[in-house]
Amino acid sequence: MNLNSTLDLNRWHRWLYVAWFNFVVTYRKTTLGPFWLLAGPALFIVILGSIFTRVNDVPGDIFLPYMAVGVILWTLIGACVTKSTLVFHRNRAQILQGSMTLIEISVVDIISVFLQFLHQSLILVVVFAIYGLNFSWYLLVTLLGIVLIVVNGFWLSLVFGILGARYRDLNQFVAAVMRVAFLATPILWMATSGRGQQLGIYLIANPFYHFLEIVRAPLLGMPISMTSWIVALSITAAGLILANEMYKRFGRLVPLWV
Amino acid sequence: MKCTSDSADSCRYGCDAIALTKLAPTTKPEPDPKPSTKPPLVEAKNLALRIPIFKSSDRSIGISPTRLLGELYFGGTKRAVATLLEDVSFTVQSGERLGIVGANGAGKSTLLRVLAGIYSPTGGQLTVRGSAKGLFDVSLGMLNDATGLENIYMRGLQMGLDLDEIKALVPGIVEFTELGDAIEKPFNTYSSGMRLRLAVSISTMIEPDILLLDEWLGAGDARFSKKVQERMNGLVEKSRGLIIATHNEKLMKSLCTHGLVLSKGMCVFHGPLDQALAYYGETCAGS
Repeated sequence: MNLNSTLDLNRWHRWLYVAWFNFVVTYRKTTLGPFWLLAGPALFIVILGSIFTRVNDVPGDIFLPYMAVGVILWTLIGACVTKSTLVFHRNRAQILQGSMTLIEISVVDIISVFLQFLHQSLILVVVFAIYGLNFSWYLLVTLLGIVLIVVNGFWLSLVFGILGARYRDLNQFVAAVMRVAFLATPILWMATSGRGQQLGIYLIANPFYHFLEIVRAPLLGMPISMTSWIVALSITAAGLILANEMYKRFGRLVPLWV
Repeated sequence: MKCTSDSADSCRYGCDAIALTKLAPTTKPEPDPKPSTKPPLVEAKNLALRIPIFKSSDRSIGISPTRLLGELYFGGTKRAVATLLEDVSFTVQSGERLGIVGANGAGKSTLLRVLAGIYSPTGGQLTVRGSAKGLFDVSLGMLNDATGLENIYMRGLQMGLDLDEIKALVPGIVEFTELGDAIEKPFNTYSSGMRLRLAVSISTMIEPDILLLDEWLGAGDARFSKKVQERMNGLVEKSRGLIIATHNEKLMKSLCTHGLVLSKGMCVFHGPLDQALAYYGETCAGS
């Protein structure tokens, strides 16, 4: 078994329905429904944005779009990483009934995370409607960056999913790391102004920074450094290879672990 | 390890479109007296399933309470290998119905899951020709906040059906559940009987080539239970092969042609049902 043999592209629309369904049903019981996906980040951006634009001493029309993109992207990255650790536990029934393969479960999970992101990016539409956006072909790189994040979410889902199926500790560990990573990644502060500039070497070691930059820089009309491309693409390639190996070696044990 | 299958991935998905095509019902459960020239439906040779487990180390209560607490907290473990199945060999020819007998924990459910392609064997060879689909844990995997109808669609999609195919099946399923208007209500408002009725109706909507059963499905009140009985009989008739694990000897005698006796994960007898049951009665049940 390898990744290709179980990834049947003729079934992709089914995964889309299943993911869409999971997304909708999650908010069924609340009065405002998926609106809550917008309310949380909106509040975050308005309140913390006005505080941190002063703390960082950066003009609001530069800082708010910067932070808004960062926060929404972090929600996508964070959801990919933290949801991945328990993905196979959550889908225990489908695994034990033999109705879905691990790959299908991962793909469905990533699609529902992505749907959530698409929904939340409405906030970005509002933010850029207020602060303006320079339209150019360079903006397409943003889309490429989002694709990169989703692809990485997929391999993470397999790798962390398999590890998390065996070691439930992983979920706690990842949650702790992600809380730190949120503040350690330039989202509420800028790497190009103030004291943030002194972090050069350290930032290179932060993988989240590079993925964030590839999506965020084109939206703000900033250049992307070569380092970011190299790191992001290498992580993607290495991750996919690792996922393939892990799946071949340990995938068959997952039904026994969950 | 080798796990081969004629139709691509049928061993994994278990419920391809093949399962939907109407198969000529096998009228006679009797095995063909002539040696069949067709390849067997299921061929298992020296099947084994061993998994690494982490066993908690032997704790002595006599040691100081602080050490005991420490060990409990850090969960002192050591590696070991658990053998779930060992040296299981058998074949199921087209039209044959195999009953698996064995004490609790003998590996009956595990073997069925291996046949369904959920657990991959770590040793031996397994060939499954056609779609093998099991009815395991039928009531698991329902979405609580979704309505009964939505759950039918959801489970159908997960089982590999297209929306059109599900749409065609829905009236039949809804009628079978006898839930009426409640089908539009959220699943978590259902009583346990209603939940089971929906689960059974959904999981029996697909007709596999090879039906794998972990105990016979029974649900609800006497009348509904009879309906389920008929539905199950229909599934058995339409399938080309049946493998069932059950403790109900009477049921097994009425259904099966062959028997397989499992003891501690090992296949200790495989042959005609009467002999298998006799063997089981003499050796395993008594001990």
